[in-house]
Amino acid sequence: MTCIIVGGGIAGFQAAMTCRAVWPDRAVTLIDAEKETGYYRTLLPQFMVGALPEEKLFFKKGENDPLLTVRSGVRVRSLDRKSRSLTLDSGETLCYDRLILAHGGESYLPGILAGPPCRGIFPVRDLTTARKTQAWLADHRRVVVFGGSLVGVKTAAHLRQAGFEVSLVVRRGHILLRALSPESAEVVEAHLRRLGIEICVNAPLEEIRKINGAIDALKAGGRRLPCNTILVAAGTIPDTSFLEGTGLLTDGELVVSQALQTIDPRIFAAGDVAVISSRGEKARPNTWPQAVSQGKLAAENLYRSTPMPHGDLTRINAMELHGLAMVILGPPVSGAEVISHARPEASVRRELFLVDGRAVGGALIGDITAAGTLHALINAERPLTARDAELLRPRTENVIRFPEQTGRRHALILSPKRSSL
Amino acid sequence: MKVIGVHMDRCTGCKTCELYCGAERGSEGKTLLAAVQETPFPQPRIRVEGGPEGAFPLQCRHCLQAPCLDACLTGALRREEKSGMVIIQEDRCIGCWTCTAFCPYGVIYPSPERKIAVKCDRCLYMEKPVCVDVCPTRALEVVELEGIEELLREKRQKTTKAMAEMGNEGIRLLDLGR
Repeated sequence: MTCIIVGGGIAGFQAAMTCRAVWPDRAVTLIDAEKETGYYRTLLPQFMVGALPEEKLFFKKGENDPLLTVRSGVRVRSLDRKSRSLTLDSGETLCYDRLILAHGGESYLPGILAGPPCRGIFPVRDLTTARKTQAWLADHRRVVVFGGSLVGVKTAAHLRQAGFEVSLVVRRGHILLRALSPESAEVVEAHLRRLGIEICVNAPLEEIRKINGAIDALKAGGRRLPCNTILVAAGTIPDTSFLEGTGLLTDGELVVSQALQTIDPRIFAAGDVAVISSRGEKARPNTWPQAVSQGKLAAENLYRSTPMPHGDLTRINAMELHGLAMVILGPPVSGAEVISHARPEASVRRELFLVDGRAVGGALIGDITAAGTLHALINAERPLTARDAELLRPRTENVIRFPEQTGRRHALILSPKRSSL
Repeated sequence: MKVIGVHMDRCTGCKTCELYCGAERGSEGKTLLAAVQETPFPQPRIRVEGGPEGAFPLQCRHCLQAPCLDACLTGALRREEKSGMVIIQEDRCIGCWTCTAFCPYGVIYPSPERKIAVKCDRCLYMEKPVCVDVCPTRALEVVELEGIEELLREKRQKTTKAMAEMGNEGIRLLDLGR
């Protein structure tokens, strides 16, 4: 009996490494649909434009571990909970003692782009496609990036920096729709325009024009954009196809507890595929750091009698867009109070979203001072004090403020005898 | 494992450690005079915060469960196995600043000019950390973790003694904080 981990992305990879470290006598099998396992997906934009050599994409490999088997290039066809087994697309059956589902998602391709094959259209997702993209980009310099997600924005910035002509096409009203407030997004958009990127907002895809089977132009939001490459970064859809009928899905989603456990106590999930049910709400913090920590926790929880809950469900993300640093502390919440500090002349906007006096999210654009401290403050879930709010108005460095010396605080609960005095 | 301890009663907030860290670890010239003339301006990896009511020199704590290690997008941050330090491999760092957003102490600093994050490596390859070496009041000290166990024992005994002196009635809860 072994522990099987489905998915060789960062969540699965991290789960495999942790499992071997924490449960040293358990054998682990890692199943990955991709041919290569153990690379930094986050670096693919730099790699595609040729700014990063391929060897730097890969994790440092440890020594050969006889109890760790990696099966790459194979997909899982079905899962049978009764016999605790997985059937692979080769027909082979593998039995598990514990299972971690960390197979992530597939790139979302809007209808028109998903149609008949057309050269020059690539999703930004995996290494195999990134290699093809890199080769294609060598002699195709007019690029449309479709999707205003973090990946889309990052890809556009790196392409522009490498000298490509870049348009960023976004379906909705502003870029980073699910991460930033409109005001913050405006600061980032202005910076991208200064870099020379054309931004089209409110531009749902209408049609594409092909010449000789290759993309030639795109029409979105009433505008025609000539291009010879389209890179799609419109998010991912969790891949749950082989889980249908297993009883693990709720409304088509793989919902797990805060301890990342599914309704089957032997099966855990981590990364993009997992929807975490926490305090009656569903959280999908699909970020890289989350995938790492979820992969770790799922593996640690595998054989624990009482699985530990995930402590940090925040959606922190950070990036540097060639001169503009930004940290996303958490997405905007409708109805939340906003406190902010802005210096438009310096492209700086720092804001926090408060619900019931507690910080629940925010963004730091242009000046990321005290990002770590503010993140810790959000996790502390305590009411924001005036002193905390000052963190938004930075001095020149990261700030740790100290509370007044209040001395040791005691809580003295008196016995009935004493309280009658 | 060795850690840098701070004697709170001795720190005067003079920032000598900051200056020397910046010059010795952040500059090419390695002297204060050379360092102040360099561009980009050398950055110290230790910062003294607080004011007259009490100052505190703070540098990377090399947390045993370091949030920055999980957050790093490129594998630039890693734990050096022998010493247990969290160190940054500058050639792998892309300056995305994710680690700075995850450090709860705010002690990983972006260096936008060099496009890397800088942090304390406790002067791993030197005999003694610069900040410890130059502190004029000996507020900073390298302590072996075994020594910390002894310190903690002293603290526990002090607390027990203080509580014992308060009488024997009722139930006591320390530092509920609310």
